[in-house]
Amino acid sequence: MKILIPSGIPFAIIAMWALLSKAGAEDFVDLDDLLEMDELLDDDGTLVREGSAAIADPLKGLNLAFFGFNDAVYKNIFQPFTLQYVRVIPKEARKGIGNFFNNLEYPRRLTGSLLQFRFGRASQETGKFLINTTAGMAGFMDATQEFEALQPPKEDIGQAFGTWGFKHGFYFVLPFLGPTSLRDFVGRIGGNYVDPTSEPCTQVDDSTDRMILTAVDTVNDLPDIIDIYNSITGSAIDPYTAVRDGYAQLRAVQVAE
Amino acid sequence: MNSFSIRSLFAILLLTVTPLPNLRSNDLDHTKDALEFTLNRLLDVLHASHSNAPYSDKKDRIIGILDQQFSFDVIIQRSLGRNWNKLNDSQKDQVYTLITDLVLQSYTRELQDGPRPELTFYKPKVITSSKIEIESIVLLDESKINISYRLANIKDRGWQVYDVLVEGISMVSNYRKQFDEHFLKKSASELIDLLKTKLQEA
Repeated sequence: MKILIPSGIPFAIIAMWALLSKAGAEDFVDLDDLLEMDELLDDDGTLVREGSAAIADPLKGLNLAFFGFNDAVYKNIFQPFTLQYVRVIPKEARKGIGNFFNNLEYPRRLTGSLLQFRFGRASQETGKFLINTTAGMAGFMDATQEFEALQPPKEDIGQAFGTWGFKHGFYFVLPFLGPTSLRDFVGRIGGNYVDPTSEPCTQVDDSTDRMILTAVDTVNDLPDIIDIYNSITGSAIDPYTAVRDGYAQLRAVQVAE
Repeated sequence: MNSFSIRSLFAILLLTVTPLPNLRSNDLDHTKDALEFTLNRLLDVLHASHSNAPYSDKKDRIIGILDQQFSFDVIIQRSLGRNWNKLNDSQKDQVYTLITDLVLQSYTRELQDGPRPELTFYKPKVITSSKIEIESIVLLDESKINISYRLANIKDRGWQVYDVLVEGISMVSNYRKQFDEHFLKKSASELIDLLKTKLQEA
């Protein structure tokens, strides 16, 4: 049996095929390309972000001294202290304190988002802040944790400088506080200008109150900081280099996000 | 006007409109499922009733599970990079064993402490025709940790993990920097001594 078909139909079929192919392009990538072992052992660019994660370290001698100092302080003072702290302060209380200070850091994150022109993230941060400040009882509860739409990546001013194209400058280690870079340190100082608990634009007039707030925030964060520090250095053959490269890679990822 | 037989038309339509068997996507999903299965088996071992047993007691089982999808030889050689060739054959064997033990001992201890972590895996992303990345979230005592696995389709091995990224930090790249730093001033035998010391401390 023969039927007559308008000449446009074969073209329509081809067009449809092309559309289908395009729609599923990712699924139809030819993944039969087997690698020889030698190919995988070459430097082939998949050492992710190796270029952008580079960080100059001209102050290495001084940094090593501060790193050693911090290492001794962490292991001999902070670690024993945090063991007692987590024993005495219940987990829920520590979580509440962490939520409270995290909520107070909203202006830093908002500024970081706005400086990157990420208005969507800025509005997410604002929504999260408003809900947690009210329904979350001044931020002690994270009332938004079940809402994926209100979990933007944390932004800061150092990241904004990174997206503007500024490199790290150089790496340095701060006593007690740990790794940073010239770019990120300047960003941190900039963040103090919008932080309600930090000078110079603080909303907490009494300097003793400010010190107490800073101390509580720092002490409450210590268990997590010590965990991360031990995790990185525990399996490292060169802890200083492991922390420096980890810092550079992490910041590169945060800037790229 | 062209003319076609109905049979020809159906044949063309079947070839074009019917969704093509999505074998590539299924392959990737299978790889993801296999990785998820492997890591859950690892957690089974770590959180078994005798979970307080030291790493050395579980080592063979842990390596036996991970070995199916993790190419430790590739991970370690990539971590050492050009420094791999500074080692003689005996040193290569020792370094391979010591680093594997050091890394597995450290990471399994973290997964073993506290309640059993919950794992969530996401759809694999294609990097190149022979490399993919599988992202996952580890919910560990209410903390969320992003862990990504980079896999390569290696001849005679299939899809194998060749790098692990924790919060975006590449383990291979991080170790590469450490080994480069070590070999600037120190030797292979000093590396072996250092690894042995680290293992004793861990």
